[in-house]
Amino acid sequence: MKTNIKFFILPAISVLFMIVLLKGGAIALANEKSLLEEIKGVNEPFDSQSVKQVQPVTQKTVLAKEEYQGGSFRVLARKHLIGRYKCSSCHTNKPVLVNQGLELTHGNVVINHGLKGEGLSCIDCHHPDDQDYLENKKGSKIDFDHSYQLCGQCHFRQKRDWLGGAHGKRVSNWAGDRVIYNCASCHDPHSPRFEKRFPATYSVPLD
Amino acid sequence: MSSPKKDAAKTVIEDVLQKPSSRRLFIKGASIAAAAGSAALAASYISAADPASAGELKLRWQEFFKKNYRLMSPEEKNETATRLERLAKFQDNIDVQVGNEPPVEKVLYGYAFNITRCEGFMECVTACVKENNLDRKTNTQYIRIFEMEPGQLDPSTGDGQYYHEVPVEDKFYMGTQCFHCENAPCVKACPTKATWKEPDGIVVVDYNWCIGCRYCQAACPYYGRRFNWGQSEVPKEEITTKQHYLGNRKRPMGKMEKCTFCIQRTRKGKLPACVEACPTGARVFGNLLDPDSEIRYVLKHKKVFRMKEELGTQPKFWYFID
Amino acid sequence: MNAVPHKNLKTFFVDAVRWNLKGSIGFQIFRTLLLIGMAVGIYAYSFQARYGLSVTGMNDIVSWGFYISNFTFLVGVAAAAVMLILPAYMFHDPDFHRVVIIGEGVAVGALVMCLSFIVVDMGGPLQAWHLIPGIGLFNFPSSILAWDVLVLNGYLLLNALVPAYILYSHYMGRKPDERKYRPFVFLSIFWAFSIHMVTAFLYQGLPARPFWNNPLMGPRFLASAFAAGPALITLILAIIHSTTSYKIDRKVFNKLRMIIVISAIINLLMLFSEIFKEFYFPTHHSISAVYLFFGIDGHNSLVPWIWTSVSVNLAATLVLAFNPGKNNPKVLLPACGFLFVAVWMEKGIGLIVPGLLPSPLGEIVDYLPTWVELGVTLGILSLGITIVTWLIRTALIIEQRYEE
Repeated sequence: MKTNIKFFILPAISVLFMIVLLKGGAIALANEKSLLEEIKGVNEPFDSQSVKQVQPVTQKTVLAKEEYQGGSFRVLARKHLIGRYKCSSCHTNKPVLVNQGLELTHGNVVINHGLKGEGLSCIDCHHPDDQDYLENKKGSKIDFDHSYQLCGQCHFRQKRDWLGGAHGKRVSNWAGDRVIYNCASCHDPHSPRFEKRFPATYSVPLD
Repeated sequence: MSSPKKDAAKTVIEDVLQKPSSRRLFIKGASIAAAAGSAALAASYISAADPASAGELKLRWQEFFKKNYRLMSPEEKNETATRLERLAKFQDNIDVQVGNEPPVEKVLYGYAFNITRCEGFMECVTACVKENNLDRKTNTQYIRIFEMEPGQLDPSTGDGQYYHEVPVEDKFYMGTQCFHCENAPCVKACPTKATWKEPDGIVVVDYNWCIGCRYCQAACPYYGRRFNWGQSEVPKEEITTKQHYLGNRKRPMGKMEKCTFCIQRTRKGKLPACVEACPTGARVFGNLLDPDSEIRYVLKHKKVFRMKEELGTQPKFWYFID
Repeated sequence: MNAVPHKNLKTFFVDAVRWNLKGSIGFQIFRTLLLIGMAVGIYAYSFQARYGLSVTGMNDIVSWGFYISNFTFLVGVAAAAVMLILPAYMFHDPDFHRVVIIGEGVAVGALVMCLSFIVVDMGGPLQAWHLIPGIGLFNFPSSILAWDVLVLNGYLLLNALVPAYILYSHYMGRKPDERKYRPFVFLSIFWAFSIHMVTAFLYQGLPARPFWNNPLMGPRFLASAFAAGPALITLILAIIHSTTSYKIDRKVFNKLRMIIVISAIINLLMLFSEIFKEFYFPTHHSISAVYLFFGIDGHNSLVPWIWTSVSVNLAATLVLAFNPGKNNPKVLLPACGFLFVAVWMEKGIGLIVPGLLPSPLGEIVDYLPTWVELGVTLGILSLGITIVTWLIRTALIIEQRYEE
């Protein structure tokens, strides 16, 4: 009878629908882990030059003396930003004889690097004999442009991360040649901690 | 019923209502009123300001009938970009460049957020607002920063509306925005396919195709989407003129919008505005398909987690701790 | 009855219009009030058209408000027509056969209201053509909203065309051919269940909203719809019985009362089940229910709302179940009215707003509809009542004349 058939249509349709839904759900679940697997499965190097419109960094850079996982990279130069470089223009073999020299040049530097009272002193980083360079604890001369070699002696974890990309930042571009900020771009070496400040803005409540 | 005045009034009304001529008049009047009402409604919807010229009207007519962006040919995409540039000149008297850069091949964008390094400065928020031409009147912000009490990683336990000197001792800071999920619930929910995931992983919205139903906003578990409740207002001198069709162009009223990983910048190889603005380097961005990228380094060497992982949305935004 | 020599489709429509313009003083005042209501709605909507949805109380957190609440509730009212059609056609109940056309009229009116609420809630209603498959892009079957568009419009067609055919046959003085419409009637019975399940799935399918993401939403919607819808139909039948010459048998009211009581009890059972799940061992997912029933951090605007709804629901169900006064309409009709309002409160604002609060990031805002939302709702309500009145009036006049 017609009525009897109608009684079966709804259950039949719902069963079909449920099968479709369950199948879809099962497929979706099977794909759950695929994002990270898909990413890790890609091992061919990416040609970052393939992004045609990338504009090269205009600031002065130097080739880093170490390599990261993708090969060589560049670091923002530092020397040209130091107002009184070259230090040897004042610091010769003889003692510096400028009237009120300490206040006029860099006597206002307060070192806030390390624990209070037990922090660093000037010659912990600066080469005592050749003021144009820094000196690491092994006694080697370190160029100001490559200060990461010095900072990394103590802050080796941050340096390892900085080489890899988890610390610091790229300059302007994610593609193209890798240019990253050097340590002193963000951290004042004499007072490296970020200062407390007011946020740049706030979130407005919606009502 | 008793007063003759009432009776007289009643008869008058009955006469008026039952006379055949008045019925016709009523129908006439009602239909005219209905036509006028619907015309008024349509007119108020079509234009907020008086159209300046026939040229502008023609541009808006063509814009109204265009296809979904995904289905357009490259020529049609260029045509609509040109129309939008000319409309911007007509309506707001500014010169903008609306780009159509296609996704870069073999790129899948990924993002990482270092919750040890974030100090709550919110430079990212201001940079994003400026770069993406977000409405200043309602303080629309794609990025939200939460001041969190250590012990829980859930933003609902944090304060998203702080305004004091940061960082506060013993608190950490965590940012959210659209996470560009690989299995995005918003993409699944949209009834007109106005939002979709581009091949380079960015989840985008075609603002002109969106019908404004806000189902995607109900579906998003991360508060990633914003709706244009009114017409957005940006001071002319602050408008970013380098725009992308799917990105920071002027959004029409009543449409959904969201973070696009600064599609107008990233498709040209630049970092998103938030990454560039962060003073502490807490944000990492790059190509997940490049095994040498910074984001891959983070995923490999750091303890990463994603928000609401149990929902299975596969976001491409990871948090990590130094 | 005037012997009209020539009847056809054109005279059908002309007569329908004529019958709805003539009437007693009461009817004319009623119609004028409805027109005023619609005018208020159009005026309020013009603000929305000009300034966007910012003139409503909605924001990025409470992104659905009064409009969608009413839409959700009215889909249930539309689906409830099946509770008249089922006995009339499946079980061949003669009493229900007389009133089924009224149920279908209510369904059409409720559906038009639903579609209107969706249109006024959209940010870009002029872009609605983007939904049409072929011309636009239709995200079927992924998007539940796409399903909802299909089923609602399909149900509207079913409930408009089948009674239209029957009425037109009666108008022309002949018996309608059962074989032509019977399959569609059965289709509409199953379709009624589907429109409300699909509307429930709209919310149920969102893992982002734990308040909604539970399996009971669909069945709960059906139960509350089959309580509130027949309650409304009871009230309408009572009005028709007392104001017109179309008399309705006592048995219809008794059977409807049974349907309402059973559905209301199932609804309360499901409510209890939900409350148990949320409050026996509250988790992070329970926070929306906590906000609704107890308030959070001083945000407790919905607490009196939900408690009133639940208590009135319970009280009305008990009155209807135990029937004090032995079928006294002065007791039962207000009980139906109160039940209708209580279900509207709980299924409208009491469902939509807590689902969206707290936001996915834990923030709470207070939602209150603005005058624009209230005005537009009044307009749509007037529109719905106008349509229902027109349809029922035409139908009853034709039915009465056919019976003669």
